[in-house]
Amino acid sequence: MKKIFSTVMTLVLALAMVSCGGASKDGGRKAQELSGAGATFPLPFYNVVFEHFAEVNGDVVAYGGIGSGGGVRNLRDKIVDFAGSDAFLTDKEMAEMDAVIHVPTCMGAVVLAYNLDGVNSLNLSGELIADIFAGEVKMWNDERIAALNPGVTLPAEAIIPVFRSDGSGTTFVFTDYLTKVSPMWKEKFGAGKSVNFPVGQAAKGNPGVAGVVKQTKNAIGYVGSEYAFAQKIPYATLQNQRGELVEPTAASISAAASGTIPADTRCSITNADAAGAYPISTFTWMIIYKEQHYADRSKAQAMATLDLLKYILSDEAQHITSEVHYAPLPAKAKELSMANLKAVTYDGVEILN
Amino acid sequence: MKVRTKHRLIKDKALLWGVCFFAALTAVPLIAILGEVLLRGYDQLSWSFFTEPTPTAYKAMKAIEAGEPIPGGIANGIIGTMIMLGMAVVVAVPVGILCGAYLAENSKRRFAQTVSYLTDLLQGTPSVIIGIITYIWVVVPMKGYSAIAGSVALCIMMLPLIIRSTEETLKILPASLKEAGLALGGNSARVMLRVQLPAAFGGIFTGVLLAISRVIGETAPLMFTALGCSFIRWSIDKPISAVPLLIWEFFNDPNLQELIWGASLFLLLFVLSLNLLSKYLAKKWNQ
Amino acid sequence: MNDKLYRFLLTAAALAVPIVCGGVVYALVTDAYAAFEHFGFLKFLTSSEWSYTEGAEQYGALPFITGTLMTTALALLFCIPFSLPVALFVGEYFKGTKVASVLATVTDLLAGIPSIIYGLWGFYTLRPLIMALNISPQGSGILTASLVLAIMIIPYAASLSAEFIKMVPNDLKEGAYSLGATRAEVIRRVVFPVAGSGIFSSYILAIGRALGETMTVTMLIGNTNNIPESITSTGNSMASIIANQFGEADGLRLSSLIAIGLVLFLITAIINLIGKVMIKRARIA
Repeated sequence: MKKIFSTVMTLVLALAMVSCGGASKDGGRKAQELSGAGATFPLPFYNVVFEHFAEVNGDVVAYGGIGSGGGVRNLRDKIVDFAGSDAFLTDKEMAEMDAVIHVPTCMGAVVLAYNLDGVNSLNLSGELIADIFAGEVKMWNDERIAALNPGVTLPAEAIIPVFRSDGSGTTFVFTDYLTKVSPMWKEKFGAGKSVNFPVGQAAKGNPGVAGVVKQTKNAIGYVGSEYAFAQKIPYATLQNQRGELVEPTAASISAAASGTIPADTRCSITNADAAGAYPISTFTWMIIYKEQHYADRSKAQAMATLDLLKYILSDEAQHITSEVHYAPLPAKAKELSMANLKAVTYDGVEILN
Repeated sequence: MKVRTKHRLIKDKALLWGVCFFAALTAVPLIAILGEVLLRGYDQLSWSFFTEPTPTAYKAMKAIEAGEPIPGGIANGIIGTMIMLGMAVVVAVPVGILCGAYLAENSKRRFAQTVSYLTDLLQGTPSVIIGIITYIWVVVPMKGYSAIAGSVALCIMMLPLIIRSTEETLKILPASLKEAGLALGGNSARVMLRVQLPAAFGGIFTGVLLAISRVIGETAPLMFTALGCSFIRWSIDKPISAVPLLIWEFFNDPNLQELIWGASLFLLLFVLSLNLLSKYLAKKWNQ
Repeated sequence: MNDKLYRFLLTAAALAVPIVCGGVVYALVTDAYAAFEHFGFLKFLTSSEWSYTEGAEQYGALPFITGTLMTTALALLFCIPFSLPVALFVGEYFKGTKVASVLATVTDLLAGIPSIIYGLWGFYTLRPLIMALNISPQGSGILTASLVLAIMIIPYAASLSAEFIKMVPNDLKEGAYSLGATRAEVIRRVVFPVAGSGIFSSYILAIGRALGETMTVTMLIGNTNNIPESITSTGNSMASIIANQFGEADGLRLSSLIAIGLVLFLITAIINLIGKVMIKRARIA
């Protein structure tokens, strides 16, 4: 017994010691381990970018896809270096915490993935989506759906909406869109990271929703486009504000961001009034504190955080977006973000100057 | 009268067959679950499954698009589970045994009876609440999720199980054993350490095995404490993964679902063999 | 070892349990306080609104209390027709035989399966079945969760009941046999009356298990925040709403979740206490 005890103890200690090492790198500062948490929507893009970043810079990034809601809470609790979110913080949220900076990292589309026997293409309008998720359009063969889909045989089955059980930026983008296109939705449910959907069932994270849609006949759910692509789940073509039927592509997402972008980059681009724009498009952001010295963080860690963001804004990283079905940032957004990053400080001293 | 007797006999038979039928049905879920996990999981097991960490969502997606099996395994979870379990055992076993010894020695005392009730209370507490508590006690003050927090949660869950098995084993030892020890001039400490605990070793050991098998599959408390981590990590002050946490992640990500049955099979085999082992040992040592 | 040191160590270890329990209550109460203060204790328990709209936050526990009670009650209902025969099989009909010990091992192993694996099985096997049988369109819901929950609590109810059935004194049974009673009659007239309170208490403890079960329910109940309209509706239990939202909640919502945790803790504590007291009495009797 005693022997086992001492062996275990030695092991534990040995493990603890191994973990404390860390290689130094060329740039003068030691390689850092950054931690972030939040949105699952851009997760595949982040996976690739972080891997490339580790190769180029030596800094490792651990990112937990726990949903935008969880990411923002972790940032507020000051236990992460950055939060990932598809929803920018509201003025009220910003007022409740220390000054933060939003850095857009890429753009993407929220698609309506569905599971219908024998149906390979489906057109939907914003109002119709709102009525489906509000439980007012209950059957797939509803005449309003049929009117948008001439020639498609729709089954006489109940529609099962699938939504998120966790607080989600994707939910925010989706409901933000519904609020803009449906007065009924605006009044009854509104926009937010968590909304009380009246019908259907919930699943965790973007991939969770994709999984449930794939497993459930007659289901429809909103997910980041990459998850529908990867799982080969069909998704609907949407009618945009100009009445055009649009598929989510890099071009149609970019078209949605052709309007003006405010200096802090906090803006919604859903239901954009632009030719060829996909109506449920969004930026996704990384959010960091403006003052980087908090919770025992070293200056090297702050520098690594900025290096990561600069890398994501670089052409090299932006080029990767198309590989994973996201869209690159417009030039204006990159420009504004670089300017915003210059204002980031450590102990009040600007880091990038 | 005869008709009634016949009636009664039929009723009697019917109950016997009914009992046998429904009792046998209980084995169906066990076989169904074992069978499903085995059939779907066994070809996922390979060397790399135990030596590589989970793939990123991106890598899994690429592999699926290319129609290849997804790379990687559950090494990060196995290591995390072992680290947290190891730390939990190191604390829970000695404290549990000492506490169990106290209860066995002082069973008439009021305080011991209170402790005994509270042990039951702790044992019945839902694991998700242990998760909340550990979050409040450890994660918040430490400003972050960590293997330490996870092991505290597991430790709290193991404690009542070890206390109970120690207490019960010590109580059924013949009183003469202790008396003989005391008569030979040992004080109660020596008798406990040299006579009673060694005699009760079998029962305590199987109790510890059962406690481990009970907590190793726990998911909810780890979600709020260890959080999870996608690569192999050895540090105890950082978020860490565990096998059940990985199953939960795979469940929520269709891209990683290829790994879910292998991970479940591993966990299930581990838990059930611990169970059977402790049953076997208990039988053997009881003879 | 010094005898004094030994006593000190023993008492210190014994103190760990009350300290942990006291800490649990203290931490839950302090962190739940904000929610109770904001909404009022009774209103928190009876409000069915769970809405996060900024500025108009409303948190009430009723949908989750309902969800928990419904899943637990149904699970108990589904579990009885299996656990009682198992108890009779092991404790009466085949008492002490090899078959009985095999069946006892089977139920023991059922108790050993981690809840997340029950959830997986429910999701990939039972849920498609429920959809195929047209019981509910989305497959997930109160019913699906309860069915799996029932399997999970069978071992707890069965093994303890069997123990009490075994303890029924033989001379009582033999008396009845000598009067010409059949075995079925002995079970009804002797075994159940004598072992009744023990069997009852073992079901109380099984309820205690079902109330707090988290992962299985989270994976199968559908995770919606409304009061379930029927047993095929989706919903959330107290444990599953915590599992779903604890990781991201803060402020009033976090406090409300902890308040739900406190209520769940109190309910299970009371149920367990009743069960244990009854068992002690049944054992002495």
